[in-house]
Amino acid sequence: MFDHILSILIFFPALAGLLGFTVSKESIRAYGITVSAIEFVLSLVLWYAYDPAGGGMQFIEQIALVPAFGINYLLGVDGISLFIIILAAFFTLIGIASLTETRRVKDLIITLLFLQMTMVGVFAALDAIVFYVFWELSLVPMLYIIGAWGGPLRIYASVKFFLYTFTGSLVMLVGMLFMAYSYFQTTGEWSFSILEWYRLVLPQDLQLWLFAAFFLGFAIKVPMFPFHTWLPYAHGQAPTIGSVILAAILLKMGTYAFVRLSLPLFPDASVFFMVPIAVLALIMIIYTAMVAYAQEDIKQVVAYSSISHMGVIILGTFALNVEGISGSVFLMIGHGVVSGALFLLVGVIYDRRHTKLMSEFGGLAQVMPHYATIFGIMLMASVGLPLTINFVGEFLSLLGFYQQSHIITLLAGTAIIVGAIYMLSAYKKAFFGNVTKEENKTLKDVNKKELVALVPLAVVAVWLGVYPKPVLEPINNSVESIVQLMHEKAVTPEAKAAIPNPAAQKIAMASAADVDVEVEVEREAE
Amino acid sequence: MEMYLYIALFAPLAGSLFAALFGAAPKTLWTGVVTSALLFASFLSSVTLFVYLLQGGEALHAELMTWIAAGSLYIPFGFVVDEVSATMMVVVTTVSTVVHVYAIGYMDHDKAFNRFFAWLSAFVFSMMILVMSDNFAGMFIGWEGVGLCSWALIGFWYHKESATWAANEAFIMNRIADLGMLIGIFLIYWNTGSLQYAVVFPTLATLDTSVLTLMGIFLFIGAMGKSAQFPLHTWLADAMEGPTPVSALIHAATMVTAGVYLVVRANPLYSLIPDVGYFIAGLGAFVALFAATMALVNRDIKRIIAYSTLSQLGYMFVAAGLGAYWVALFHLMAHAFFKALLFLGAGNVMHAMSDELDPFKMGGLYKVMKWTAILMILASVALAGIWPLAGFFSKDNILEVAFSSDHYVIWGVLWVTAGLTAFYSFRLIMLTFFSGEERYKEYGFHPHEAYKFMLWAMAPLAVLAVIAGWGEEIFVHFVKELLPEFEFHIGHNVEMMLIVVTSLMAIGGIVTAVLLYRNGLLNPKLQQTWVYKLLSNQYFIPKFYDEFFSKPYAELSRIFWKHIDLKVVDATVDFIATTIYKTGESTHTMQNGNLSSMLRWMVIGVVVLLLLAVSYAVRYDILAALQTVFPGLGA
Repeated sequence: MFDHILSILIFFPALAGLLGFTVSKESIRAYGITVSAIEFVLSLVLWYAYDPAGGGMQFIEQIALVPAFGINYLLGVDGISLFIIILAAFFTLIGIASLTETRRVKDLIITLLFLQMTMVGVFAALDAIVFYVFWELSLVPMLYIIGAWGGPLRIYASVKFFLYTFTGSLVMLVGMLFMAYSYFQTTGEWSFSILEWYRLVLPQDLQLWLFAAFFLGFAIKVPMFPFHTWLPYAHGQAPTIGSVILAAILLKMGTYAFVRLSLPLFPDASVFFMVPIAVLALIMIIYTAMVAYAQEDIKQVVAYSSISHMGVIILGTFALNVEGISGSVFLMIGHGVVSGALFLLVGVIYDRRHTKLMSEFGGLAQVMPHYATIFGIMLMASVGLPLTINFVGEFLSLLGFYQQSHIITLLAGTAIIVGAIYMLSAYKKAFFGNVTKEENKTLKDVNKKELVALVPLAVVAVWLGVYPKPVLEPINNSVESIVQLMHEKAVTPEAKAAIPNPAAQKIAMASAADVDVEVEVEREAE
Repeated sequence: MEMYLYIALFAPLAGSLFAALFGAAPKTLWTGVVTSALLFASFLSSVTLFVYLLQGGEALHAELMTWIAAGSLYIPFGFVVDEVSATMMVVVTTVSTVVHVYAIGYMDHDKAFNRFFAWLSAFVFSMMILVMSDNFAGMFIGWEGVGLCSWALIGFWYHKESATWAANEAFIMNRIADLGMLIGIFLIYWNTGSLQYAVVFPTLATLDTSVLTLMGIFLFIGAMGKSAQFPLHTWLADAMEGPTPVSALIHAATMVTAGVYLVVRANPLYSLIPDVGYFIAGLGAFVALFAATMALVNRDIKRIIAYSTLSQLGYMFVAAGLGAYWVALFHLMAHAFFKALLFLGAGNVMHAMSDELDPFKMGGLYKVMKWTAILMILASVALAGIWPLAGFFSKDNILEVAFSSDHYVIWGVLWVTAGLTAFYSFRLIMLTFFSGEERYKEYGFHPHEAYKFMLWAMAPLAVLAVIAGWGEEIFVHFVKELLPEFEFHIGHNVEMMLIVVTSLMAIGGIVTAVLLYRNGLLNPKLQQTWVYKLLSNQYFIPKFYDEFFSKPYAELSRIFWKHIDLKVVDATVDFIATTIYKTGESTHTMQNGNLSSMLRWMVIGVVVLLLLAVSYAVRYDILAALQTVFPGLGA
C-alpha cells in the first residue's frame, strides 16, 4: 500500500499545482489549502507507517534512469529525513492557509506547490543526481517568490540568493561526479546511489578533497559564516511566506546534507575538519548573535538569529556521536518550527504597519495581548528554555560536542546567553513600554486566520519540548546506524577513536545494568 | 503517597493554567481564589509527605515518563521526595500559599490581576520541579522555569522602563550562570554516564579529584547566579521593581535559595572537594558583609531588604561550604519565613504610602499601621538573631560552624555582619515607623492600614518566624538520614560564650539604630562622605558593568554589523561578483559583430589553444591519462 508513497508525496503537489492553472482566482486559495492539507495528511500517514525501531531506509523506491552510469530514481526515508518532510508539508499548509498576500495569489500558491515538490524531493532522494536535481530546482520557486513579491531591493536580493547558492552547488556537483568516478574506480561499476556510496571506503586524502567540494555547497546553503551574507538580504526582501519556508525548510537542506552525505561518506575527513568547522560554528553562534543584537529591523533580528542557531546545529552534527547528531537533527525540526513561527509573527505586524523597525513599535503588549503571548512563547522557545522544542536539540547538541572539546562547548554554550540578549531586548523594544506611536494605539490583535497558523506552531513547540520521544526516538535509531557506519568505515586511528561505537556502548550499558541488577539482588539477599 | 506527590507538584500548574485562561481578561476574583486554594492543596500534600517521612517512611520515588533519550543518555521526568526535598517543598508551599492569599489584597486594584496569578502559580510549579526532580536535567528545567517566571514577574508592570530593564538584567545574568550549570551537567554525564542523583552520587568517589573540582566549580557558578552571589549579585536589588508579593516569594524565600539547595543536594560531591567548599564559604562570608554594608545607607525599603537577603544567602553558603549542610538548610527555612514576612510588611507600607519607597519620607507610621509595624518588628528581631526567635537558632549555628572548623576570619566577618544586620533592620524600622516627626505629611501622603485579611495572611509567617527555630533537634534528626552530620568541636563553655558574644553584637546593633534614629534623620552632611557615596552607589559595580560590559557589547555588536558584516564579509562577496561582471563587461567588445576583428580573435584563440594543447599533451602525457579515465574512447 505504501510502496509509492514517497513518489506521491513528491509529485502530488506539483501535479496539483499544474492543475491549479485551470482553477479560478477566487477559489485558488481553497484549492491550495486542500492540496496542501492532503499532502500533510499523506506525510502523517508516512509517519504512521514508518517503523520507528528500524534505523535504516524505509519505503525505498527504485526506477533505473541511466543504467550505464548507475543513475536511478531512488527514494527512501529514515528517521532523519522523515520529520523534515513532515515539517515541509506542515509549513506549506499553514503558509498557504495564513497567506495574507493579495497580489497575484494564484501564481504564488502554484509556486509554493512546486516548491513543496522540490523540498520533499531533496529529503527523499537517495540518488545523488536526483538529490542534486531537486536541490537546484528548489532555487527557482524561491527566486521567483523573492523576485516577484519581495521588497524594494528584491531583484538584488533574489539574484544574490540564486547565484551564491548556485555557485556552491556547482562545486558540489563536481564533487558528486568525482565521487561516482571514485566508486567506479574501486568497484568497476558506476553508481550514484548514496546507499552504495555508503559502503565505499575511501583513502583519507581523497576524502579531504571530496569533503571540501561538498562542504562549499552545503555551507552556503546553511548558511555558514562567512558565506552567510545572502541570507539577511533574502529575508529582508522576501515576503513573509518566502522567509518562513526559507528559514524553516530550505536552510535545513544544508545541515541535512551534512548528516546524509558528508558524515557517512567521509568519516575521516569529518574528524579531520571537525575543529575548523567547530570554530566556524562558534563564530556563527557568537558573532551573528551580536550582529542580531545590533539590528533595528525585527525581521533582521530573526534572520540573524537563524544563522546563530544553525551554528549550534552544525556543532551538534560534528560532535560525531549519537547524542550530538540526534540533537542536531532534532534542532533542525525545532529551529524550523520556531524560526518559521517567528517570521510569521513578524509578518503579522508588518501587515498592519508596513514597517519592521522596532523603533516604530513599543508597548504592543498592551494593544495586542494575544499576539504578545504567542510571540513570548516563541521567544522562549528560541532562547531554548527547557520544555520547549529548541532546548532538547540545543542541549543534546552541546552535550554531544562536549565529548569532543570542552573549551569549544563552553564558548558555544554562550549561545544561551547571547541568544537571550538579542531576543529579550528585541521583545522589550517592540512589546514593552508605553504605546508612543499614534498608529499603534488602534492595532488589531491577531485574527482567526493568523491564529490558524500560529496556534499549531505554539502547540508543537511546547509538545515536542515536553514529550520529544515520538520524534527523537526514530531520529536516534537512524543516527545510531549512521554513527555505527562511520565508526566502521573510518580508516585512520584518530577517526576511529573520535567516532564512538554505538553498538559497543550498548553492550557496555547493558552489562552495567546487569551489574546493578546483581547488586540489588545481593542487597535483597542480605 | 505517590498521589500526594503529584498533587503537590501539579496543583500549582493547574492553578496557573486556570488563571492563564483569563489572562487578558479584566480582573476576576476567582483566579486569585482558585490559585490560592490549589496552592493550599499543594501545601497540605507537602505537609502530608513531610509528616510521612518524619514518621520514618521511605523516600518516595516516582517516574512520570521519559523526557529525553538519545544515545546512552536517558532523562526521565522523575521525582523524589526525600528529607531534603520534603523540607524545601514545605517551605515553598507555605510561603507561596501565604503570598497568594496576601496578593489577592495587594493586587486588588491591578488591571492585570489574572495574569499576575498565572505567573505566580507557574513560578511555584517551576520551583517544585526544581526541588523535587530526581536528576540534574530535571532540576535544570525548574532552574530555568523559575528564571522565566522571575523575568515575567519582575517586568510585570511592563510599561515601566526600569521594570523591563531589571527583568532582562535578571534573566541574562542568570543565563550566564546557567551556562556554568549546563557545563557542570555535561561533565557529570560524560564522567558518570547518567544524570540521576541515585546513579551519579555513588559513582563520584571513583572519579579523579580534578574532574570533581571542575564539576563542583561549574555547578556552583550556576548556584551563584540564582542566589545572586558576587559578582552576579546586581540583578537582585534591581529585581525589586516587581510587585512586592513577588519580591517576598521569589526574591527572598524561594528562588534565590535554589543555589543553596543545589549545593546541599550535591553534598556528596562537595564533601569530596573541601577546597571548593572553602572557596564557597569564603565567598559567602564576603557577600554577607558586602551586602550588609550596602544595606546600611540605602534609601529604598525594598532594596534594604533585598540586600539583607543577599547577606543572609552568604550565611547559608558559609554553612554549606564548610560541610554543615543541614545548618544551611535550616537557615534557609527559617530565613524564608521571616524574610517573606518582612517583605509583605514592606508591601503594606508601600500601599499605605502610594508606592513610595523612601523611608526618609516616612516616619511615625506606627500610629496608623500598628499591626504591620508589629509584624515587621517581629521579623526584624528574628532576622537580627535575638533569642528565642527563628533567626537566633539558625544563624547562631552558622557562626558556631565557622568557629568550630577553625575559620576564625569567616567567623569574625559573620560576627560583624550580625551587628550590621541588626543595625540596618532597625534603621529601617525606626525610619519607617518611629523616629520623631511624621515626615510623610510634608509630602502629602495619607497612609492607611492594609486589609484585615492581608494581615491575617501574614500571621502564619509571623508564628513560624517565632517558632521555626525551636524544632532544631527534630530537624537535625530528620535530615541526617540524607545529609552528613557536622561535628561541632567546641565545648559547652565556648559555645555559650559565642552565643553571648553574638547576641551582644546583635543587641548592640539594634540599640545603636534605635538611639541614632529616635529623633529623626541623621545630619545630611554625612551624605557627603566618600564612604556614603561608595556604599550608596553599590561600590560602583552596576556602573562598572554598564561601562565595561553592556556598552562595549552594544558597540562591538554595531561594529560587527556595520563594519565587518556589511563592509568586509559581504563586500568581498560582492567584489568577486562585480569583478566577474566587469571582466565580461570589458571584454564583450571582442564579440562586436565586426567580421574582420572577430576573425582576428579567432585566429589568436586557435593558436593559443593549439599551443596549450600541444604543450600539455607533451608535458603530462594526457592522451594516456584520458584513456584510463574513459576507456570507451578507443585507442
